[in-house]
Amino acid sequence: MSLNQIERAQGLRIRSTQDFAGGLFMILLALGAYAFSWDLPAGSLRQLGPGMLPKAFAVICGVLGAILTLTSLRYHGEKLSGWSWKGVFFALGGACLFALTIRGFEIGPVQVPALGLLVAGPLLIFFSGLAADDRKLKELVIFALAMSAGCILLFKYALSLPIPLAPWLLGI
Amino acid sequence: METLSHLSLGFGVALTLKNIALCFAGCLVGTLIGVLPGVGPIATISILLPITFGLDPTGALIMLAGIYYGAQYGGSTTAILVNIPGEATSVVTTLDGHQMAKQGRAGVALGTAAIGSFFAGCVATVIIAALGAPLTKMALLFGPAEYFSLMVMGLCFAVVLARGSILKAFCMIMLGLLFSTVGTDLETGQERLTFGVASLSDGIDFSVLAMGVFGFAEVLRNLESPEARDVVKGKIGRLLPGWDDIKQSIAPVLRGTAIGGILGILPGNGAVLGPFASYTMEKKIAKDPSRFGKGAIEGVAGPESANNAGAQTAFIPLLTLGIPPNAVMALMVGAMTIHGIIPGPQVMTRNPELFWGMVASMWIGNLMLLIINLPLVGLWVKLLQVPYRLMFPAILIFCCIGIYSVNNQPLDVAFTALFGLFGYLLIKLGFEPAPMLLGFVLGKLMEEKLRQALIISRGSFMTFVERPISAGLLVVAVLVLAIALLPSISKKREEVFTE
Repeated sequence: MSLNQIERAQGLRIRSTQDFAGGLFMILLALGAYAFSWDLPAGSLRQLGPGMLPKAFAVICGVLGAILTLTSLRYHGEKLSGWSWKGVFFALGGACLFALTIRGFEIGPVQVPALGLLVAGPLLIFFSGLAADDRKLKELVIFALAMSAGCILLFKYALSLPIPLAPWLLGI
Repeated sequence: METLSHLSLGFGVALTLKNIALCFAGCLVGTLIGVLPGVGPIATISILLPITFGLDPTGALIMLAGIYYGAQYGGSTTAILVNIPGEATSVVTTLDGHQMAKQGRAGVALGTAAIGSFFAGCVATVIIAALGAPLTKMALLFGPAEYFSLMVMGLCFAVVLARGSILKAFCMIMLGLLFSTVGTDLETGQERLTFGVASLSDGIDFSVLAMGVFGFAEVLRNLESPEARDVVKGKIGRLLPGWDDIKQSIAPVLRGTAIGGILGILPGNGAVLGPFASYTMEKKIAKDPSRFGKGAIEGVAGPESANNAGAQTAFIPLLTLGIPPNAVMALMVGAMTIHGIIPGPQVMTRNPELFWGMVASMWIGNLMLLIINLPLVGLWVKLLQVPYRLMFPAILIFCCIGIYSVNNQPLDVAFTALFGLFGYLLIKLGFEPAPMLLGFVLGKLMEEKLRQALIISRGSFMTFVERPISAGLLVVAVLVLAIALLPSISKKREEVFTE
């Protein structure tokens, strides 16, 4: 019995966790998109309605996802590898901090005034810099300040983009 | 002669002091960011997009084109010096380029790449100038049905030419198309898939998607694996190739330019095949193929010329038909739209200065790269030694300021972070995000053309098959897909992309 036949004899099982998860992911997205475009009229062929294409694309996505899931049972492929939660938390968290502080926000009882680039910049660099395994705090602080100063000069003054600098301190 | 008068108009626009300065600045910053390992041309352009916002459209496009070439060339520099390809097309350069660098001939490799690219760029500029006018005339004959079929064909090419599994590339294209339907419906004004979020009613912002998936997600991907940067330690050596090197590389440069130039015109990312095809060809016709992979100069000269020629002729479908052939060009569409220009055949007739100015600035940009890069190689090497722990926060702040500046909306930054997470998920699931961007950009246009075509034909799908040009394009699309799915070819395809 050749190796191929032995493989086949073992029947269906998940041979590529990456493709399997990818297929499920596509199916999930497709179901979501289909459900949310449920109310949109599909119209007729002569006059396509707003719902026609979203639904059509969602169906195709779902079918492709199903095929991908099935092939993952038949053919070998990549395995899923672990996530870098640290990267997600610090790097994306840093970006969210930037979004929250640049012009201030108000969510229920929490209020943050518009802090501007002068604060949001170093905050973003410092917080996201924590994601690196080989971080050095002192170096990071100096880099955060220097890089922010550079960005302020470049974007605010050299390119004169209308980005708030420090409304609470300088009024601009 | 028409071509000459067009080119002289273009050079008249491009050679003003301001536009030369913009082209120079674009090339410089493009290389600066493009040189960073793990930052490909797509990420470079999305990061640098905001610095063009304050400019007039012509200046902005000239600068963007400069950034694009700079990013391309920066990618080759990283490939040669660090063995990290910034994007698919510079994978080939790492094979022999990095070996040359290890043998102390990094300078010659960089010099050959620059000179080969410059030559390819000159030829490609002439091709664009020569083909621009006739193709635009042809494009004006295209009705909605032809446009729709052309885009279908482009997407089929993109599926076939994507790296990795065809099925997964197909998934990404469809996902991009699905994303493109988010937002207010153009005809009925009904909101689709917006979840009641006000900023989604204009659809998903292009720069938010691009920067999330290519800027943020790349950072996450790079953070995850401990860095293995293999920066060439020894000396760079002299930059100008010697007489022997030149003799060896003339023929590969010529062949590479021809291959890359032709493949670049194809809709659907033909340019990506150029370097692979050129490398394979050089290896086949070489007297001693065993030298390849061990620092053969032909393995740098050919693919690099093909890369640059393709990078430039890829502008042809965009400028004449308004259809971006790959993700980078999709980004250019986004950039042009921000400046109020809808790419397509009408650009050349309505804004001839813009069109020809950009074409002329392509040539100037290539010359600029030669002038900037050869003396600055030392600086790039220094930059390559900056540790990633400092590099990625810098990339992040550039992205954040950029995204904020598109609409002055902090919420956009948060959305970008969300798409960053989404892009990271895609990477983890083994999906290549570039086809998604292409699908996203083409999606809106496809829907519009599909609706128009169906209205004209009174709801009959036969219109796509009855009109000869449209039918021809669809036949090509089906053929390409069918051929790629043949078992023997698909095996070959895998080899090409893994070599």
